[in-house]
Amino acid sequence: MYDAIVVGARCAGASTALLLARQGHRVLVVDRSSFPSDVISTHFLWPHGMSYLNRWGLLDQVTAVTPTHTTIDIVNDGIRLTGSVPTDLLREHFRDLHGDDSGVVQSYASVRRRVLDEILVEAAAKAGAEVRTNFTVRELIVSDGRVVGVRGRAADGQVFEERARIVVGADGRNSFVARALDLPKYDERPRCTFAYWSYWSGFDLGSGQIHRRGRLGCAVVPTNFAQNMVLVWGPSEWSREFRADVPGNTQRALDFVSPELGEVVRTRGTREERIYGTLDQSAFLRPLHGPGWVLVGDAESAKDQCTAIGMTHAFRDAELVSAALGRWLTGETSIDESMAAYEGRRRSQNAAAYYDYVCTFAEMRPYRHDELQLFVALRGNQEETDRFIATHADVAPVSEFFQASNLFLLNDAAKESSAGYAVFDDFAATSRMYQQNLFA
Amino acid sequence: MPHQGADTVTTTDLHQRDDGELIEVILHAARHGDVEAMTRTAAEVSDMTRNWAAHIPWDDFAALDRSGADGELAQIVADLTEMWEPAHLHSPVDPDEEYALDKNAYDFYRPAGRNLLARTEDFYGWVQARRRTETWQYSRVLEAAPDSVAQITNDLGRRTRGINFNSQDYLSFNTHPAIREAATRAMRDYGPHSAGSPMVLGNTRISDELEVALGELVGLEHVTLFPTGWAAGFGAVVGLVRQSDHVLIDRLAHSCLQQGARAATRNVVRYEHLNVEAVRQHLVDIRSHDTRNGILVVTDGLFSVDADWPDLVTLQRVCREHDATLLVDVAHDLGSMGPGGTGVLGMQNLLGEVDIVMGAFSKTFCSNGGFVASNSPALKQYVKMFGGSHFFSNALSPVQTAVVREAARIIRSPEGDELRARLFTAIHALRDELTGRGLTCMGEPSPIVPLLIGNEKLARTANRLLFDRGVLAFMVEFPVTPTGSSRFRLQVQAGHGPEEAREAARIIEGAIADSRAYLSSAFGSAPR
Repeated sequence: MYDAIVVGARCAGASTALLLARQGHRVLVVDRSSFPSDVISTHFLWPHGMSYLNRWGLLDQVTAVTPTHTTIDIVNDGIRLTGSVPTDLLREHFRDLHGDDSGVVQSYASVRRRVLDEILVEAAAKAGAEVRTNFTVRELIVSDGRVVGVRGRAADGQVFEERARIVVGADGRNSFVARALDLPKYDERPRCTFAYWSYWSGFDLGSGQIHRRGRLGCAVVPTNFAQNMVLVWGPSEWSREFRADVPGNTQRALDFVSPELGEVVRTRGTREERIYGTLDQSAFLRPLHGPGWVLVGDAESAKDQCTAIGMTHAFRDAELVSAALGRWLTGETSIDESMAAYEGRRRSQNAAAYYDYVCTFAEMRPYRHDELQLFVALRGNQEETDRFIATHADVAPVSEFFQASNLFLLNDAAKESSAGYAVFDDFAATSRMYQQNLFA
Repeated sequence: MPHQGADTVTTTDLHQRDDGELIEVILHAARHGDVEAMTRTAAEVSDMTRNWAAHIPWDDFAALDRSGADGELAQIVADLTEMWEPAHLHSPVDPDEEYALDKNAYDFYRPAGRNLLARTEDFYGWVQARRRTETWQYSRVLEAAPDSVAQITNDLGRRTRGINFNSQDYLSFNTHPAIREAATRAMRDYGPHSAGSPMVLGNTRISDELEVALGELVGLEHVTLFPTGWAAGFGAVVGLVRQSDHVLIDRLAHSCLQQGARAATRNVVRYEHLNVEAVRQHLVDIRSHDTRNGILVVTDGLFSVDADWPDLVTLQRVCREHDATLLVDVAHDLGSMGPGGTGVLGMQNLLGEVDIVMGAFSKTFCSNGGFVASNSPALKQYVKMFGGSHFFSNALSPVQTAVVREAARIIRSPEGDELRARLFTAIHALRDELTGRGLTCMGEPSPIVPLLIGNEKLARTANRLLFDRGVLAFMVEFPVTPTGSSRFRLQVQAGHGPEEAREAARIIEGAIADSRAYLSSAFGSAPR
């Protein structure tokens, strides 16, 4: 009998197992994969994601093999904003969500999952969690309407049955736990992006670059093995045409969004792997918990990759749920109180506002005139640029940036005019052109 | 087969087909029961995708029943199709409804193009979509005098009747006989028109009496009248503040003060709502590099969509310590709460103590108009001259002035105490019933009861339901509140019976629950 069985041993699962085991609980964590291995992921960690790793004592292991930076370039229709997530906002974020602000770091990184997930799994094992890989859960054991354990099959075909006081579903968007429980989806947002990416060597641009133009985006971020993760994305309704020629259209998208990046990749880059892709990204929420089970990470709420927040949110869930479960497992609170505390944080108004922000962003509509004007107004206003980046990354609440009096003040404080940007020359014609499927 | 090892990943052939293509092959094979082709192709699918789509039995295709009789093939086809077809194709939406619910007014704030007329069309398209979907909460009209119940028509011409939390008439003066009598008498004595700026000949003897009465109510002798509350706030700030001066303003202070600050100077700092310590730090900051210019600190008393108020005692002290001047807007609390109707100032024993007080008559005093008060006759003359909205507007009409004067009299009388007691009975009944039903009332008991909704879509659809269910509640969203922080602002009146308030709370809860179900939303209302 375990205190907890965690299904899924990646960002959400291994971290939850690690934190529960460190509290002294008996934890079993299982995954159908073995490690190291990759999984569909755009594998970006924002500074709060890195801060979680630091709080858990794992950051050094990651940064030893992964390039990190603190400033990031966000370029929309040629309007470049350069900034970083401010430490005070990071602190506030951790105080608000977790009640303490220790271990905050300002850096971000792109970490391959075959690197990161293995570090997490090893740390969970070292903390005392029992880790079983190549283990496929086939069934939840339910008794009196309550989940009490799992049955499954190991790599050698042997069948296992294990029981626990709680089963944590940390098995991602396509969660088996959620499917087995036949959980409904809420707040579904079918509009999402298609994303294609691979790994290129041969150039080093320093910090990360995120570009947007029209309905397409691209990012180039240095990652492990002296490579760059090069990612392009666009509205899922263009995906069929994109797929007709994945390598060709990847380059076309790069050239369209940022001719400079397109040129660097074309002339200096060597692609080291095949191109990966997905458009399985429509957003939803699932019920968070029920008798004998609780969900974390993508299993409880999956969102589009367009703000690259999934792994950071998985870490956040792991801290929240392990703190809540810990109070229950030690008898400090009832399970209902503990789950209500977790739910309060995860289904809050701030969370709803950010969810809306991501889902709207994921529709990949061309930027409106007022949005581009806002980016121009932000140039030269470092404090508000940084706050915008923090808002985009879900460090600062959406409601504090997108507030009338703030937006009007930004306008008033603008140091630059739109005169220097080509997109404003004939905005209506440009917008119409942006609606055309580039790959048709 | 352990297929996820690092070794296999690094030997991946660069020119392997991408997963989308492979999955199309698998789908084709699955539809023909060709499990061999499925198995062969599955081995080529990237580990990334295999590990991601753990619900697909990639390794077990060979064991599938090729006849499809057990439904497993069909399930695989369905799951793979869901992964590789744009999801929105499966769930069509009403484009009007999507457009109406997805945008907010700020999306239209900076339209493109040189034709000022033509570029308003985008916004109008959105307004029309919201009208068609009956989610446009603005510009409803009354069919009769608003009381605790009102009869209204929305801007599609649809009528309804409901318990009215949409009118700002906290002490129910609009139907009070003495108020109506005062209006009639002024009409008879002076006619409907003030016929001039208060700086020329727009004021009457009643205006002077009103200034005295207001001065007594807030304990500040020198009072100036303005044609609206908005004009008072805007006029006070632009009258006093010059380009080199500074304004420290609560983030959530009223629009007239925010816009006044923006018009007066570029040195505007918006401080965290109610945070007096933040004000102190900003003051230290400013004074460390500027000892020569003025600083105006601006806050509301009772905040109009949050129902809370600052610690004005400390705020005024901190201002004096740094040679800053405090301006407090008591539009919502003066008359409706506090001892003798003295509002938040009276509740904090600050009558006569605050540098500058401004207010509006439109909430409790049953009329348009506003005022600015201080202990300084010089400030009064200065604001009259340089706050453009006083000098360059027609004065309040004699009827308005007389109504406000009579309202001020009742507010300070025992009858005022009694009306406030009835008002607060209704407020407590409403708040208790809403809270008891698991909803979140923001702020403190006051005539404004903000019911937090958060998500705009939820608020807009709940509001649509309420229209036909007998409760009139104003839904506030951007630009009144920040994005993602919409709410119902329920404005209570002395005329509301407690049972009426409880009934309204039940109806509101039902509408929110139904609209949550309509949107299939799982978000709650906790703020963080």
